[in-house]
Amino acid sequence: MLTDIFEKEKALFEDGAQTVLRAHENRNRVVSILKGNIVANSRSETRGISARVGKDGLFGFASIAEYSNEAAGKVIKAATDNVKLLSRHSGNTGIVLPPSYGTGLIPTNRDIADAEQKRIIDACRKIDDHIAQKYPDLESRTVHYSEDSQDRIIYSSDAYDGHLVTPRCYIYVFMSMKTKDGTPVELFKALGGYGCFEDNFSDVEQYYPDIEKLYKRVKDKTEGIYAEAGYKTVVLGGMMGGMLAHEAVGHTVEADLVMGGSVAGPNLGKRVASDLVNLVDFAHTYNGELAPLPVYLDDEGIKAEDAVLIKDGILTGYMNSRETAERYNMKPTGNARGWDFSDEPLIRMRNTCILPGKNTVEELIESVEDGYYLIDSGNGQADLTGEFMFGVTCGYEIKNGKLGRALLDTTVSGIAFDMLKTVDMVSNEVEWSSSGFCGKKQRMAVGMGGPHMRCKIMIGGR
Amino acid sequence: MEKIREVADLFDNILREKNFPKYTYTLVSSEKQEINVENGEFKLMRTVFGKYTSIKVFKDNKMGSASGNDFSKEALIKLAEAGESAAESSPEDPCHDIAPDQGKEIFKQGIYEPDMDKFIERIQECLDTIKKEYPKVLVMSAVGSYDKSNWISRNTNGTEFEDFSGQYQFYIQISASEDGVNTGINGAGVEVDNLDKPFIELGEFRKTLEDVSNSIHTKSLDGKFDGTVILTPCAVQQFLGMLIGHYMSDGVIIDGTSQWLDKVGEQVASDKLTVSKKPFDDRIVCGERGTQDGYRAEDVTLIENGVLKTHSLSLYAANKTGRNVVKNTGWDLVVEPGDKSIAEMIKSVDKGLIMGSYSGGEPGTNGEFSGVAKNSFLIENGEIKYAVSETMVNGNLGEIVKNIRAISKEQVCDGYVVVPYIAVDGVVISGK
Repeated sequence: MLTDIFEKEKALFEDGAQTVLRAHENRNRVVSILKGNIVANSRSETRGISARVGKDGLFGFASIAEYSNEAAGKVIKAATDNVKLLSRHSGNTGIVLPPSYGTGLIPTNRDIADAEQKRIIDACRKIDDHIAQKYPDLESRTVHYSEDSQDRIIYSSDAYDGHLVTPRCYIYVFMSMKTKDGTPVELFKALGGYGCFEDNFSDVEQYYPDIEKLYKRVKDKTEGIYAEAGYKTVVLGGMMGGMLAHEAVGHTVEADLVMGGSVAGPNLGKRVASDLVNLVDFAHTYNGELAPLPVYLDDEGIKAEDAVLIKDGILTGYMNSRETAERYNMKPTGNARGWDFSDEPLIRMRNTCILPGKNTVEELIESVEDGYYLIDSGNGQADLTGEFMFGVTCGYEIKNGKLGRALLDTTVSGIAFDMLKTVDMVSNEVEWSSSGFCGKKQRMAVGMGGPHMRCKIMIGGR
Repeated sequence: MEKIREVADLFDNILREKNFPKYTYTLVSSEKQEINVENGEFKLMRTVFGKYTSIKVFKDNKMGSASGNDFSKEALIKLAEAGESAAESSPEDPCHDIAPDQGKEIFKQGIYEPDMDKFIERIQECLDTIKKEYPKVLVMSAVGSYDKSNWISRNTNGTEFEDFSGQYQFYIQISASEDGVNTGINGAGVEVDNLDKPFIELGEFRKTLEDVSNSIHTKSLDGKFDGTVILTPCAVQQFLGMLIGHYMSDGVIIDGTSQWLDKVGEQVASDKLTVSKKPFDDRIVCGERGTQDGYRAEDVTLIENGVLKTHSLSLYAANKTGRNVVKNTGWDLVVEPGDKSIAEMIKSVDKGLIMGSYSGGEPGTNGEFSGVAKNSFLIENGEIKYAVSETMVNGNLGEIVKNIRAISKEQVCDGYVVVPYIAVDGVVISGK
């Protein structure tokens, strides 16, 4: 855990400037076992301090890989000098921000505990041995442990101070099997979530049912077929719903991308989805419980609150930084975050989720005469126009309301605000994932969630 | 920046006291000065004083690694202990190793003292030119960064490499609009070691600006067809990256799932295709000099006239599989040019696409890809007709490199890569 030693450096903050000083540590642990061979075994800690100084619509940022009072003074000075340098080259007067965002202290949200590398390796080997013994017909297998925990302390001139700890760790299990003609097919599953090693992996046997399910699905995939390309009725599983929430819609309603011309700009206050669709970027709590990656304050010192983005199919808001909130006359809700100590805060999603509806999953599948059930995705991207794509790694055809053959890898795509209007059934539970990274100049850990949804979508195939 | 050689000497003393039989380490001191532009205006200036430390410790045929960013004596002791602890926790595997003695060498590349005023002027000049000559274009964001680094790497086999490098990088993310209609995001970037030429005249800047200006009003395609796709240099990099990853790299060779497992020396692609990684090519700025395994980097040809010359393996994978190590762990991609102009390539296509980039699912080891053709235009009867949206492409990586119809004479050199346009047949193109 970082120690709180920089309070007195607030005296160095320049009057009339908006300053945030951030102490920040990232910790990584990696173990990777490929077919029984340990191919990665590493531990890493990076720590430093940064300052962002805002004045007259311009910003200076500086960071240094040291953790001392002297270093804090250096970065405050360097960031202040950077604003001055920039102002000599810019005619931009920028947006005048409010003098204060309310002040207070957000207390440390939790502890962070380390696990010895041997403990991590032993847990991974136990899972690997289990897979090797129980599923000998696999062509290949990988067990990959990854922990990337963050610890940050924020000191601001005009907003909240606070200490936020965000540990997360996962064991990814990859399985590969050959089809009859010798072509390999793969699937993977991320196990674990928010918390430290022992929170998630004190008993790895709890994950054996998930591993069994993964094995059955990869086996199904060896008999898989190509999807038929075209515009199809599909049931998107909860993980796909989460990907939709993040990629297809979430990015278009990040206010910096709205400024860049995203389709959400002219659609604020308008219908962008069927009235069954509600989308919220949760700060830290969902349904009375911790959201997958809770955020209590952001790197601009803004106290985090939920951002309601779509309500009953109507686009109601964006995710903002201090500056974009002022531009769009909205309230900043704590979305400005940086990944590394040396990263400036950008508008990022936190726990973005399409809310559940009333149907059961079974009702959704039974309602489809000829279509596909798309369960899991490997990656996704979206554009300013709302054109999105997700890679589909796991899915089945649906014939007359029943699941049929598995699908080989494919991709779905569409225009988000067109596609969301075709959502006509939404299931009554949400599946979350939190293992992913979002890339936008820097990377960022994000949570995403969604229910099952019936909709129409473009699917790629032969 | 820190005096890195002094830090290395301090670390050597620590490691000698620990009596580690075998290790390799790298220490990096770096500095970044970065100008960020938002919606065409300067917005943020960022300075990063960076450090990086890493060590691999080998004990009794066990390997562990650790990294950090603190040069203090206490932190270096902790780093050594973390590496040792990771090694001791690992099972034995004699395939983990470091390169034999490569001697001592100092590398100097690029420009070590930047001209920041000139750099800012060049950025402003580029923004002004875009505003004047491409009025429909909005520069959503632009980042100009000067990065310099000094690293040193030593190992117990006797190798000592020290590197000084510095370069400017500049990239833009753009969109265009007209009559309330917006395009998606497009972008271009370069890496240079001098500021002699305006950025807009380098790499693919002008081509990208023209493309995005012509992409505002898109149409989606009807139905599906087997067509020709002309991959732009950006798309070529994406597809070759996937090909190298899924057919030629460590993971798929160690676990035996590569489709090209036993194909070294065989024809795997069209004889038009020659793919290399060339860190010493004059057109590559600050290419790799020391590999992650501790070898002095070399230019390496992976595919020559369609014949697979080597897999792209690390020392560990080479030891594990009894194959050759590749002394190159960077990118520095160079694809040899062909004999057709881009105009001739377009003219020869009956129906297909010119594809700006691929946005799709990561293919598995079977090479099947399926995704959206972004920043792309329909070609019919040898002419570019219009920009497309909601258009998907499907095919197989291993097949499309066999079905190369033509490679352009023109190559794009942006400091990172040297890559031509490549036209491939046998891609399923489908619309809504």
